[in-house]
Amino acid sequence: MTEFRTVGKSEIKIDVKAKVTGRAVYAADINLPGTLHAKIVRCYEHAHAKVKSLDLSEAAKIPGVVKVFAPEDLTTKFYNQSVIDIMVSEDMRGMLGDIEDQKILTDHVKHYGDGIAAIVATTEEAAERAAERIKVEYEPLPVYLNATESSQDGAVQFTPQKPRNMAFELPEPAFPNNTLGWGDADEGFKEADIIVEDNFYTSKQKQAQMEPNSYIALYDDDGLLSCWTSTQMPKSVQPKIAKLFNLPMSRVRIIQTVVGGGFGARLGMVLEPHICALAMALPGHPIKVQSPREEDWLTSPSRHPGDYWMKMGFKKDGTPVACDAKFVNYKGGYYLDGSGVAFTTGGWVSGLYKFGALRYKGESYFTNQPVCGAYRGYGNPQTNFVLEQLVDRACHELKIDPVEWRKKWHKDVGDDGWCAGVPYASCALDEVLDEGAKAIDWKAKREKYAQQTGVKRRGVGVAVMVHTSGAMPMLLEHTVCTVRLNEDATAVVAFACSDMGQGSHTTLRQIAAETLGFPLEDVSLSVGDSNDAGYDIGAHASRTLYVGGGAVMAACKDALKQLLERAATMLEANPDDLEIEDKQIFVKGSPDRKVAASEICSGGVYPFLNPQTGAPDTIPGQILGYSSFNPMHNSPPFGACFVELEVDTETGEIKLIEMVNGHDIGRAINPAVVEGQLEGGAQQGLGMALTEELYFSTDGKVLNNTFTDYKMLGPSDMPKITNVIIENPDPHGPFGAKSVGEAGLVAPVGATANAIYNAIGIQITDLPITPEKILKALNEKHAA
Amino acid sequence: MKKHSISLQVNGAVHEITIQPNKTLLDVLRDELNMPETKYGCGTGECGACTVLVDDQKVINSCLTLAATMDGKSITTAAGLQTAEGTLHPVQEAFVENAAVQCGYCTPGMVLKSVGLLKKNPNPSEDEIREWLEGNICRCTGYEKIVTAVQLAGKKIAQADG
Amino acid sequence: MSTRILTEFELLTPNTIPEALSILNEFRDNVIPIAGGTDVLVAMKFGFSTEYAMSISAIPDLDYLSFDPNKGLRIGANATISQILDSKAVKQHYPALWQSAKIFATPQIRNSATLIGNLLRASPAGDCSCAVYALGGSIVLVSQQGEREVDIDDLWISYQNTERRSDELAIELRIPAPEPAGRSAFKRLTRVNEDLAKLNVAVNLVMDGDKCTHARLAMGCVAPTPLRLRATEKLLIGQTLDGSVLKRVMASVKEEINPIDDQRSTAEYRKSVSGVFLRRAIEQACDIS
Repeated sequence: MTEFRTVGKSEIKIDVKAKVTGRAVYAADINLPGTLHAKIVRCYEHAHAKVKSLDLSEAAKIPGVVKVFAPEDLTTKFYNQSVIDIMVSEDMRGMLGDIEDQKILTDHVKHYGDGIAAIVATTEEAAERAAERIKVEYEPLPVYLNATESSQDGAVQFTPQKPRNMAFELPEPAFPNNTLGWGDADEGFKEADIIVEDNFYTSKQKQAQMEPNSYIALYDDDGLLSCWTSTQMPKSVQPKIAKLFNLPMSRVRIIQTVVGGGFGARLGMVLEPHICALAMALPGHPIKVQSPREEDWLTSPSRHPGDYWMKMGFKKDGTPVACDAKFVNYKGGYYLDGSGVAFTTGGWVSGLYKFGALRYKGESYFTNQPVCGAYRGYGNPQTNFVLEQLVDRACHELKIDPVEWRKKWHKDVGDDGWCAGVPYASCALDEVLDEGAKAIDWKAKREKYAQQTGVKRRGVGVAVMVHTSGAMPMLLEHTVCTVRLNEDATAVVAFACSDMGQGSHTTLRQIAAETLGFPLEDVSLSVGDSNDAGYDIGAHASRTLYVGGGAVMAACKDALKQLLERAATMLEANPDDLEIEDKQIFVKGSPDRKVAASEICSGGVYPFLNPQTGAPDTIPGQILGYSSFNPMHNSPPFGACFVELEVDTETGEIKLIEMVNGHDIGRAINPAVVEGQLEGGAQQGLGMALTEELYFSTDGKVLNNTFTDYKMLGPSDMPKITNVIIENPDPHGPFGAKSVGEAGLVAPVGATANAIYNAIGIQITDLPITPEKILKALNEKHAA
Repeated sequence: MKKHSISLQVNGAVHEITIQPNKTLLDVLRDELNMPETKYGCGTGECGACTVLVDDQKVINSCLTLAATMDGKSITTAAGLQTAEGTLHPVQEAFVENAAVQCGYCTPGMVLKSVGLLKKNPNPSEDEIREWLEGNICRCTGYEKIVTAVQLAGKKIAQADG
Repeated sequence: MSTRILTEFELLTPNTIPEALSILNEFRDNVIPIAGGTDVLVAMKFGFSTEYAMSISAIPDLDYLSFDPNKGLRIGANATISQILDSKAVKQHYPALWQSAKIFATPQIRNSATLIGNLLRASPAGDCSCAVYALGGSIVLVSQQGEREVDIDDLWISYQNTERRSDELAIELRIPAPEPAGRSAFKRLTRVNEDLAKLNVAVNLVMDGDKCTHARLAMGCVAPTPLRLRATEKLLIGQTLDGSVLKRVMASVKEEINPIDDQRSTAEYRKSVSGVFLRRAIEQACDIS
């Protein structure tokens, strides 16, 4: 293996000292002189209603109130807070139809917490007091909390463009018969010896990133609209804001603050349109909004809940002859990226196993619920819960070991990935499974737990997954990077890739230093301001290290090439014969023929003219490396998760004992970062399996948009965690790296469900798997 | 509302301030004293992002504390754990070295919470650390590296004291 | 819905008990006393408003916790849950209370919240309330009219309503001296470890050898206030705690409780685990495995 200087090392993260002292600046920490404070007034009386009258007069009288805003006082142009519209080609956009269905403030409340008015005041407190004085009359409308209700005849239409409230189905002709897959599933099932089939429900999980939503915007005297935000996608928000307010992009500046977690909740826009609209209405005043925590559950997108049906046929020897599946997801009140999860959920099915035939349908329907969109894994955890439980049910019936079945039937190098036509270039799933099984002592535990009696039953389960690194070819993939070499041969690397905490700035810096051959401390980053860097679509689809890393590598190679060319001229050598070590460039095999990188860089910046010759003494021009990078692949990483737990059969309670999260990383650029992603992903995946769900009263009110009742696993709930990280370099990824950010969440969902199945012989088909559901199922089993 | 005058020591500096009675300690730290290292995460005492250390011994939720009732108290925030010369507290050092930080929003509270534990119990077991850290939510790390950082910090403090 | 900013109120900060009583006497229903404030401040962020709030935290000498083997436990109005947890006497003599303090909310809340505040909240889910109910005791209420002691059995009137008159200040909780053969335990069910209870239970038994001579059982989250399981207690008294007795006890508790569906669990689930949980608490108290 090649010796690397910094790649492969758990380098200390760039911003970590500022974070342990609390000096890292998040949006809420910014206080510009003269700041005014905004409050978005929301509807908490109804989940579906028309605003009949809105009286802001009393609110306007509160001391400190600068201005009150009804919907028509701000732009009433429709928009879509997600960025799906700028990520797809014009053809694809045509297939999606009209997807702009949101307004900054609305008179048609489509979910609990929809925004109906806004207030700007000199203090947050005055804005709050004014909000209490707003008088609203509503005309209640029927509330639809699932697809069946909202698609029924006569249901109130959410938007005229989407009949029957169907936001999306896989469109013809790209998906014949509105399906995705291959072969003839009906024929396939005829060959099956056994069939497993069930209906599942996957829940509305929330990212619950720790930083609540705060924004500042200023429309300044020069007509520049600046917005400080923790969006995951500054360079995608910039054109969206420009379009919404009819401004050229040169008049819109998005400054990304330190991001206090994202996980998809900050994909695209949340309250950027609101704060920018208020700033435009009050030029010259910085306007700040700080949402209460409770609003995050209502305004930023969650995971898509939905009804998931799946049927699989197997031959006696385990051959999976066919799979038929349908995921009907609930969009919430607005479209956002309504096409995405309906497609990817099937994509994840298609990418994992060598089914003889596959037929998948995906549909999205509007419901009177807070919006859904991207959440770490993007449909994959839903698929994992369903697919992996049914595989285990079949393995149980066929008496085949679940690890062995998966090793035999998972897709491998050369097989088509989650998107047809992009075959896998690397796959280490067998090794991940083998090492993972060893780490959890799979065989011994499976045998032991088959013999259990007593109140507390242990179980051990496995699930595998395949994910992606970036979203090509379905969505645009593009990152721009520039590398400027200072006169002392240090480098400034500029890009717009987001670090939401996952450590991407640290790992991208490692890639830059490694590529340039510079010490890590000689590379600094220029990040955060949308005007300082070229395009980057934003942090989503587990792409930042993979695509951003590709861009950084290409730009650094460009800078290095220029450096070596100048060195070659100075040393009268061929550039291909040169090497860089400790920032000295020398001719291979002749260490004495060398020139310092700083001499070249300095000469480029200070090309003094020789008084005798009139020509520069040095080669002029500051070196600037550049790349505008589009990856040629999506290098899917594979993963396997093993979970061991204990079920209390008298109470239905589950105690997590141990988990082994195995991952096919390609190359771990920074192993501690990789572990952090796996461990953090596990907390969210286990939580999705066991506790996390946003739930509603029958009239559509959200009942648990607080940490009091939206429960996530805490430090003492988490099991012992072992990471198994297999490095099998991918031919396309930077230094062979594949993604890990989203992947860590996925397989823990299925593995937890399968461990419960192993412990008590029951599969719970709706998420989350609560003690209430387990006990009920145990009682029913007992009765039967 | 009748304002209250209090004397509040924060990270060693005494502030004589006059405040509204409905201001929490968190409001005062962030908005009156312009010390944003203490974070608003939920405002209801569930997430622990607002944790501060009182009188160098006990951790509290500054979001659930009326500032006007804190007259004469001494408060330490995450920034106050670092010396003026820039030396990090051993707990901060351990968080840095152990990659126990991702988005960082929970980190100031998490660091102070850990300091509070090590003051009570210099050599906690893993279970004791996990139980103690309840009330501080981290959504990024799965807690694993935080727990091991607290163990490491305990060792660092013991070495420094020994 | 919630706000980041507390509602407006006037804050009164008496330095003595007489001052506090004078304030209560003057403002009555318009003033809410605050000790740790951890419940009241959350309520204020969700719309609760009051004209006056009176913080008693500046009143000295109310943060005591004293134990006398003959007189029992005395806990002052400013004593925090952390103080309960740090008390060796509580751990040794009142395990149910100590165990309820151990899992009570979070370390930060335990450092601020008071035991008496938890009792006066009159929440059906209060963990320490459940434990104190099983242990028995009384609350000392003082007003300008004088002092009275209210038995814990009479404290809770209805959901979030107590026997305390608005001019009275609760200054002390008294828990009787431990019986030499007394045993107690507390258990609760939650969704995750740090959580409000979906069910909690506390038992306080006096044993004469194998035989139970005295029993107080309390359960939370199964009625509008913490509930004493009086009918089930009778099934224990005079009995050896063998399998058949425990079976009857388990059947009885289901009949005695009246839980509802809420954010945390369902009535059906609470009913179906109530017996198991009570049995386990009894087993824990008596070291039966």
